Amino acid sequence: MTLTDDAFDFVATLVRQRSAIQLERGKEYLVESRLAPLARTAGATDVDSYVRALRNDVTKHDLVVEALTTNETSWFRDANPFAVLHTTVVPELVGRGRRDFRIWSAACSSGQEPYSIAMTFSEHFPALRPQIIATDLSELMLDRGRAGEYTQLEINRGLPAPMLVKYFERTGATFQITPSIRNQVHFRHHNLLEPAPLGGPFDIVFLRNVLIYFDVETKRDVLRRVRMSMAPDGYLFLGAAETTIGVDETWERIQVGNTSIYRPREGKTR
Amino acid sequence: MKALVIDDSRVMRKIVGGILVDAGFEVVEAADGQEALDQMTLNDDITLCCIDWNMPVMSGFEFVVEVRKHVQWRDVTLMMITTEGEQGQIVRALAAGAHEYVIKPFTPEVILDKLQFLGLVEMKETV
Amino acid sequence: MTSAATWEPLTGMDPVMTIAQDLFTTMIDGEPGHLSPWLGDTPVLEDPRYAWVDVDGPVVTRVMLMAGRATGENLTRALLAMDADEPVSDADFADAVGEIANVVGGNVKSLVTNPGALSLPVVGRDEPDNSSAMRIMATYFGWKGAPLGVSLWALT
Repeated sequence: MTLTDDAFDFVATLVRQRSAIQLERGKEYLVESRLAPLARTAGATDVDSYVRALRNDVTKHDLVVEALTTNETSWFRDANPFAVLHTTVVPELVGRGRRDFRIWSAACSSGQEPYSIAMTFSEHFPALRPQIIATDLSELMLDRGRAGEYTQLEINRGLPAPMLVKYFERTGATFQITPSIRNQVHFRHHNLLEPAPLGGPFDIVFLRNVLIYFDVETKRDVLRRVRMSMAPDGYLFLGAAETTIGVDETWERIQVGNTSIYRPREGKTR
Repeated sequence: MKALVIDDSRVMRKIVGGILVDAGFEVVEAADGQEALDQMTLNDDITLCCIDWNMPVMSGFEFVVEVRKHVQWRDVTLMMITTEGEQGQIVRALAAGAHEYVIKPFTPEVILDKLQFLGLVEMKETV
Repeated sequence: MTSAATWEPLTGMDPVMTIAQDLFTTMIDGEPGHLSPWLGDTPVLEDPRYAWVDVDGPVVTRVMLMAGRATGENLTRALLAMDADEPVSDADFADAVGEIANVVGGNVKSLVTNPGALSLPVVGRDEPDNSSAMRIMATYFGWKGAPLGVSLWALT
């Protein structure tokens, strides 16, 4: 660990200004490991000296912010939400007459989440072809998502083997997602601090494991913008350890087994 | 819950076994497909098998084929854990009746993710 | 298809490097950054040990791991979560180093066109008889300062 306190603080401030993501004390290892490849490429002796050099080089700030705002992703993360999607949420909306589903996967990283949503529909509702908007702050991640190509390590994480053989093709060292799934997802650059992306009103929004990085005020802002982009009877999925309770009372929480899902409370969509 | 770990490498049996014990399983081991069949007969409460492919005496693939012939083992989850990573091999294993497939090398999360998807464990999310 | 064409994807170091790094990151070190390309002259291995697997096919291809005994012991300790000074038995050594060769070899096999069966690993003090073999590539890594080699051979 080479990162000194004030180098860490500099990076944390930079990241917070550009993305509102909070890097608290305790995340030093994350910063060190995420910046190590950049430091190596720049020929710096270590991460700390790389960061020091950054203070005077604004052109490198984007790279640093990108390196620190990407998430660890797996396919079908936590499994249960995707089960709830096909056992409860989609059938209910279909029951209300929905056929053209508009779905937003926010902070989609390298695409595992939106593609997992597409595969869930393909497995259980093949006649419905949802339109999935996948957004992220990182152009690097969006490009990865658009390419739909994954390493063996990435493919091992959470992807059921029957779906691997059905929806992917191995070419050399990587696995490519099949065009029929890939074509359902549209990747767009988007910052959650801005108004919601086009493509709504959304029937289903996945906003998983990104609110954790924000302070309470920002969480409220983000949730408000999300709510405004949704159909009044649409559903919001958060990360397994996240909730709107105590943050934003304009959502109704519905428990399905171990999973919580959220819906705009009636009469409070604005 | 009881799991059977099948691999000719003691190192691998220890690594996989450790992950399963942490997930709440009781673990029994076998070093090849034949020993594994013996364990299946001796223990009627095995719910999960983690199976290497390339082993002496009887391969993991042959074990899968054999298990799927027996109606009393119909509900046992069969997960391959192997270096065999070509698409064709994965297709073969699933067609023979394996439910899941892990390509070596792997982290504990890889196995745990798959067990969760199969409903064999419930995970607490850590943020 | 000639053997050269079959193995073309592997004549560069990078695929083997990625395979080795993935293995070390996930199962040996638990984090990335400890395995890197060996810089400098081809290292001399102290008390060398060899572990290999053979991939069947029109030409049999051997994937061989080379390391000094002490390095092999440290790899064994890492895989078995043993303490730094715990003695390593011959059986555990052969098992652990053999399994590393198995994983590296299996992943190499997945990269080539039309591979055949993967043999069980063999571990020994002596190099296998590669006199009638053509070396396709060899590369060395540094793991916590110690050298480790991987080589590919086409057996005729």
